[in-house]
Amino acid sequence: MNVRTLLKYWRTILIVAEMTIRQQLMDGFIIFTVLFQPIIIALLALWMLKGKGPDYAIFVVVGSGLTGLWSSLLFISGNSINAERWSGTLEPLVAIPTPFEVIIFGKNLANVIQSLLSMVLGYIVAAFFFGYDLTIVQPWYFAVSLIISIFAFISFGLIIAPVFVMNPGVRAWQNAMEFPVYLLCGFLFPIALLPGWTTPISYLLPPYWAAVALHGATTVGTAPSEIFFAWGMMVLFSLIDLLVASRLFKLMLYKARADATLGME
Amino acid sequence: MRALSSNLRLFWQGTLLSYRALFHWLRPAQYVASKVFMPLAQMFFFVFLGTFATSAANAGFYIIGNAIQITAVSGIFGVTMSVGGERETGTLPYLFGTPANRLVTFFGRAFMHILDGMLGVVIAFAWGVILLGLDLSRTDLAALALTIAVTTVSTCGLGLLMGCLSLITVNVMFVNNFVYFLLLIFSGANVPIAELPNWMQAISYALPLTRGIAAARSLVGGASLADVAPLLWTELGVGLVYGLIGYVLFSWFEFIAKRRGTLEVF
Repeated sequence: MNVRTLLKYWRTILIVAEMTIRQQLMDGFIIFTVLFQPIIIALLALWMLKGKGPDYAIFVVVGSGLTGLWSSLLFISGNSINAERWSGTLEPLVAIPTPFEVIIFGKNLANVIQSLLSMVLGYIVAAFFFGYDLTIVQPWYFAVSLIISIFAFISFGLIIAPVFVMNPGVRAWQNAMEFPVYLLCGFLFPIALLPGWTTPISYLLPPYWAAVALHGATTVGTAPSEIFFAWGMMVLFSLIDLLVASRLFKLMLYKARADATLGME
Repeated sequence: MRALSSNLRLFWQGTLLSYRALFHWLRPAQYVASKVFMPLAQMFFFVFLGTFATSAANAGFYIIGNAIQITAVSGIFGVTMSVGGERETGTLPYLFGTPANRLVTFFGRAFMHILDGMLGVVIAFAWGVILLGLDLSRTDLAALALTIAVTTVSTCGLGLLMGCLSLITVNVMFVNNFVYFLLLIFSGANVPIAELPNWMQAISYALPLTRGIAAARSLVGGASLADVAPLLWTELGVGLVYGLIGYVLFSWFEFIAKRRGTLEVF
C-alpha cells in the first residue's frame, strides 16, 4: 500500500469509516474503550497530579486521550480483520476489486477519529468538573500534530491487524500490550522516570512521537524544533508502516487463499 | 452426612470444571498475558504515575494499593465470566435443570478464582519487592497473607453479584470493565480516600477492596494483625453481603426465567 492508493480510494475509505462508526456506536465494549476508560484514567490522573499545579491539567487531557487512542487501536483496530471474519464478511471483502488494506485503513480511520472523543471528554471533565483553565499554547502546532498523529496511528494499526490474524500467539498478548505502551510512550508522565534501557523501545513506537508532538504543542516552553522532529518521526514511521503493512496484507491473503483458511480462525 | 459429602463433591467439581471451562482456551502464554503480565503492567503504570505526582518516597502507597487491587482481575472478570458464561455457552438450562444445591453451585463458581486472585496479588508483591524496592521488613507476613485472602474473598463476593447481573444483560464486558476501572478510583489504590468528596467516600466504604488495601498498607507500615482486625472483619462482611445479594438474585432470576421461559433470551 502506498500514498497513491490512498488518494485513489479516498471515497471508499470515507464510506468505510462512516459505516464503521455507525456500527460501533452500539457496541458496549467499544464505547467503554473509547469513552469511559480514558475518562476514568483522566479522573484518576487529575486527582493524582493535582499537586503539580493547574498547568498540568492540559497534559492529563492530552495524555488520557492518547490512552484512549492506543486502547482503541490495540483492541478495535487490532481485531478489525478478525471482526470481519467473525461476522462472515471477510471473504466478500477480499474478493472485491478494492484492495483489502484500503478497507482496513477506512476502519482504522473511524477508530482513531472516534477515539479523539476521549480527548474532548477529558477536556470537558477537566474544565467543568475540576474548574481548570485549559489553554493550548500553540494551537496550530497542535492541529498539525493531531492530523499527523491520526495518520501515524492508522498506519501503525495496519501492521497490528494482520500480525494478530497471522499469529494467534501474538494476539494472546493483546491484553498485556495496553499498559506497557501507556508507560513507554510517556502519555501521562515523562519516560525519563523509566529505566534507561527502555528509552530506545519508546523511540521505536509511533505513539511516543505523537505524545511528544501533542504534549509539546500544549505546554509552555517546548521548542518548535522538538515538535517538528516528532512530526518527522511520525511521517517516517507511517511510511515504513504502510510499506510493511502492504507486504503483510499480501502475505496474509496469499496464505489464507493457499491454505483455504480465510474464514477460519 | 451423605448430603454433606454430596454437596462437597458438587462444590469441588463445580468449581474445578467451571474454572477449566472458563479457560477452555487455556494456553500458558494467554494465562501469563492476561493474569500476570497485564495486571503487573497496570501496577507499574500507576506506581510510576503516583511517584511522579508525589515523590519516590510514596512508591509504597501505590505499590501496595495496586498489588491488592490486582485481585479484582480474578474477582471481577473471572468470577463474572464463570457465572455469566453459563448463559453464553448455553449450559444455563442444564444447570437450572439439575436438583443440585444452588448455594453450593453458586459459591463454587468463585472458589478457584479466590486462589488464583491470591496468587496474582502475591506475584505483584514479589515484583514490588524485587523491582520497585518495596520494604516488607516490618511486615507481619502471615497477617498480610490473611489480608490478601480476606480481600480476595470479599472482591469475589462482588464478582458473584456482577456475574448474576450478567445473566440479564448483554453488555457483560462493559459492566465488568466499568466496575473494574471504578475500583481503581474508589478503592483508594491510587487516591487517598480522604481526598475524595464525601459522597465518593461513602461509595468507597461500601465497596470491597477499600478496607483490604488500608489494612495491607498498615501492616506493611508495621501494624499488627490485632490493629487491622476490625478492617478485615468489615471487609469480609462487605464481601459476604455482596455474595448473598448475588445468591438471592441468582435464585430470583432462576425463578423468573423458568416462569417466563426466558432462560436463554438475550
